Amino acid sequence: MRAGEDGAIVTFDGCVRNHSHGRSTLYLEYEAYESMALEKMREIGKQLHAQFAIDRVAMVHRLGRLEIGETSVFIAVSAAHRGAAFEACRWAIDTLKSTVPIWKKEFFADGAVWAEGAIPAASAAGTEAPSGAASLGKRAS
Amino acid sequence: MGGMTAKVLFFGRLREIVGCSEELYDLTDGAPIGGIFAYYAERCPRLAEFRSSVVPSRNREFVDWETPVHSGDEVAFLPPVSGG
Repeated sequence: MRAGEDGAIVTFDGCVRNHSHGRSTLYLEYEAYESMALEKMREIGKQLHAQFAIDRVAMVHRLGRLEIGETSVFIAVSAAHRGAAFEACRWAIDTLKSTVPIWKKEFFADGAVWAEGAIPAASAAGTEAPSGAASLGKRAS
Repeated sequence: MGGMTAKVLFFGRLREIVGCSEELYDLTDGAPIGGIFAYYAERCPRLAEFRSSVVPSRNREFVDWETPVHSGDEVAFLPPVSGG
């Protein structure tokens, strides 16, 4: 990530919270439409480069069962100056959460529910061409 | 005749309702993607109540319900996304 011309690296570390809507969460399970999710994540990287004065982007989302406190999503953005890095990182996680086909199921002591989620706009389509590292990690259980 | 199919994928709660994550659908070439959903909603009536929150995709791009589907296409019905 870090290059000589960079003056800032902003990271976002999304982790599993121990509660949801007033209930204690035991753990989460994530699933994805993996091929489409990777395409959408690469599109986000491409859009970041078009919209912000940044250098590099890394974006990872984990799948499968995750325990409280574990990282589910991690994004890093490098740039010459911190402003662009902060803005781009914020835009990346917001866009990931509203457009990338990944789903989480929340498990509680008395049952499980699919998280409410966001409805992607049908116009959230884009083009290919990767411009950074994107990956989905599945833990063998 | 023969062999005109689309691959249909289900995720999250839709996968649980339909009871499978992937199926081959016998296709009339160019039929709208909404017709495929209607077929599954007839087979699994609980699907219908989620239609307003489902976004269809064809070949890994979000599309609208009128989009025509052709043989070999990969179709999916995506519930609201909740990554992060």
